[in-house]
Amino acid sequence: MRRRAALLMALALGSCSPAPAPVPVPVPAPVPPAPQRIVSLNPCTDAILAEVAERGQIAALSAYSSQVGQSSMNVALARSLPATAGTLEEVAVLRPDLVLAGAMTAPAERAAYARLGLRREEFASPTTIAASLEQVRRIAALAGHPERGAALVARIEAAVVRATVPPGTRRVDTLVWQSGGMVPGGNTLVSELMNRTGFDNFSARAGLGQAQILPLEPVLAHPPQAILIAGNLAAGENRLLAHPALGRLPATRRFAFDPVLEWCGGPTIIRAADRLAQIRQAL
Amino acid sequence: MNRLNLSLLSALALAFPLSLLAGRVWIDPFHPVLPNAALILAELRLPRACLAVIIGAGLGVAGAVMQGFLRNPLADPGLFGIAPSAALGAVLSLWLGALGHPLGGWALPTFALVGAGGAMALLGLIAGRGGSVALFTLAGMMIASLSGALMSLAISLAPSPFALSEIVTWLMGALVDRGWDDVLIAAPLTALGLAALWMTRPALDALALGELAARSLGVNPRVLTGWIIAGVGLTVGASVAAAGIIGFVGLMVPHFVRPFTDRLPSSLLLPSALAGALLLLVADAVCRLVPLASGELRLGIALSLIGAPFFCALLLRLRRELA
Amino acid sequence: MSAGLTAEGLTVIGRCHDVSTALAAGQLIAICGPNGAGKSSLLAALAGLIAADSGTARLDGAPLASLAARERARTIGYLPQSGEVAWNLEVEALVALGRLPWGGSRRDPAVAGAIAAMELESLRHRPVGTLSGGERARTLLARVLAGAPRWILADEPLASLDLGHAAEVMRLLAAQAAVGRGVVVVVHDLAMAMNHADRVLVLDSGTVVADGPPDVALAEDVLARVWQVEAQWLGAPGARALGLISAATPPAR
Repeated sequence: MRRRAALLMALALGSCSPAPAPVPVPVPAPVPPAPQRIVSLNPCTDAILAEVAERGQIAALSAYSSQVGQSSMNVALARSLPATAGTLEEVAVLRPDLVLAGAMTAPAERAAYARLGLRREEFASPTTIAASLEQVRRIAALAGHPERGAALVARIEAAVVRATVPPGTRRVDTLVWQSGGMVPGGNTLVSELMNRTGFDNFSARAGLGQAQILPLEPVLAHPPQAILIAGNLAAGENRLLAHPALGRLPATRRFAFDPVLEWCGGPTIIRAADRLAQIRQAL
Repeated sequence: MNRLNLSLLSALALAFPLSLLAGRVWIDPFHPVLPNAALILAELRLPRACLAVIIGAGLGVAGAVMQGFLRNPLADPGLFGIAPSAALGAVLSLWLGALGHPLGGWALPTFALVGAGGAMALLGLIAGRGGSVALFTLAGMMIASLSGALMSLAISLAPSPFALSEIVTWLMGALVDRGWDDVLIAAPLTALGLAALWMTRPALDALALGELAARSLGVNPRVLTGWIIAGVGLTVGASVAAAGIIGFVGLMVPHFVRPFTDRLPSSLLLPSALAGALLLLVADAVCRLVPLASGELRLGIALSLIGAPFFCALLLRLRRELA
Repeated sequence: MSAGLTAEGLTVIGRCHDVSTALAAGQLIAICGPNGAGKSSLLAALAGLIAADSGTARLDGAPLASLAARERARTIGYLPQSGEVAWNLEVEALVALGRLPWGGSRRDPAVAGAIAAMELESLRHRPVGTLSGGERARTLLARVLAGAPRWILADEPLASLDLGHAAEVMRLLAAQAAVGRGVVVVVHDLAMAMNHADRVLVLDSGTVVADGPPDVALAEDVLARVWQVEAQWLGAPGARALGLISAATPPAR
């Protein structure tokens, strides 16, 4: 018995050696290196990319982002980076390993990208906040910086929460009027933002889909309490707004709404939410 | 006249390689330091240049034949309604794709060719028997107006603004981003169409004296109509399938070359082919060069910009002649 | 089976009715008649350009419809009334169009021959739009000659020509008949027919009412009956003119 205990003790002592024997560990799959030359072809992906990628990774942004009325990001920053008009030849010369583009592409262009062997990721215009956040995460992951994507998502969510009205708050019937009489319907990002910030999207109630011309009759029959004008009044884009019939709706208040706020998701949501909250406060 | 063809051919031979170098990214053949230059040349510019030559030649000859057949210098291949019908076919394929039934890359040209074929069959049915020019023109206009109306309907019923934009953009005609697949479609069809149109030469000359005199010289109106429908249908159908609706070439090019020929319709075919190819090649290069923020210039715009000054000069000279 | 151009009971509904006649080559034959008598339709049917509703037109015994288009084009030359030329072609190019049934070459000696016969040598390279009426008529006729047809069928070749040019064209046509061609012309000018034709067919409302040498077919009683004018032939044979006696308007038909 004592001998067995001594044997066990010896074994136990022997197994407590300070340097354990090396055991083969399965090697994890090598992480593909993050793309070092990313080209973004539309202002919405430009804005997201500028936030989640390192400056050195960006090979070019779309030419729109350098223009004040068209840009969804910091114009000065955009101007400090190379710009491209987006033709395939220009993109090919940049030797990108990743191209971010919108979903509105001609079939011939898609085929040409495939022929040239360029990697292209498409991002349709997001119709919900959740979809937009998903795009942010996706772009961040593609750029190799998921942590930055998460940070941007957090900032966007915080802005939305800030602007969200408490449940039970009175909802203001509102119409968003874009240039030429187009209005965003119920399945749009701006519509969801409006719902969160205490507005009722008039055009959704009127049964309009994604983006349609609004006939005047429903507006006159049940006038909205507010109209957000997203267009350049001076440029004559809103002829219908000057329609005499609309002048007879004294109860309807009008507010300016920068059209740029409507075009993209991503970081723009922060500014859009703030503006909507601001307008809601005034009502 | 042979001198005309020779000079046009030389101009074309000169313009072709030059056009390959031109673009927003200039490619210098002696210092190929640009990355991907070879790829750009081989996969983008070379097929585009080939397409420009093929389509330009097809449309030029179609226009010359139409003007000879209708004995009207204002005739244009579009009068037959084949281009709008081919476009209608293509629009339908885009429309179905937008509705969630993506049909694959070959759908668009196939639909376009079916549209062109339908118009050809209809024309043959309505006007083939008698072969009367007036009946032909009216039938063509009816088909054009019907196709145009159906296209507008498809556009207004577009499932989304993106589909709408895609359709309208495609309709405007462009050679941008076309590749060897498109050349594979356009080349054989245009070749067949040109062969058919070539067969009409003696008959077109005879028609200069009027339908009755032409018939007395042995022209068979039904056979002639058949060749013309086949030729115009194939050349225009192929061009629409590859590049959308391209106007101007068929109407203008015969006018540019006519003063340099003996004015017989048959003498116009070869120069119109060469001049049409040259015009489209140069216009396409211009499209690549113009610095627009949103991409390339539309082909139709470049054609008009280049052609209008020449046409103005032509009109001034015509005015002096007629005065 | 007779040689020459024959019509057997040729009927084109609404135009000519049951016309039968045999035309021989080597003669200048005039077809005359009031407006709407069916002259142009008869001529076109004889040229094989319109299908008769009943009856047959024959060339040397064979029905015209059975001839190949090229064969017919080489044998019968047709000069339409309209005289339109769509493009401003040069005279030589226009005349060379007549060679199309033979394969069409401008250098063919027949083209030069036709230009010489119509006295157009000095106008070879003039665009047709710059020609006078008479020169244009001669050019169009030269086009028909260039095809070396055995028959020349001309529909009102003298229309819009002044007196001198009309006489000239008739003279040239008569010369063609003299060398053995068959020449059939539709003319309104009865004096021209009287003075130059070897034979005249008079059509009235689609039927042949007179057929024979001009002084028989265009006798004054025929004129009274068909044209409803009282007239008298004046002048010597070969240089006759028509004098209208009564100025009364003919009764409505």
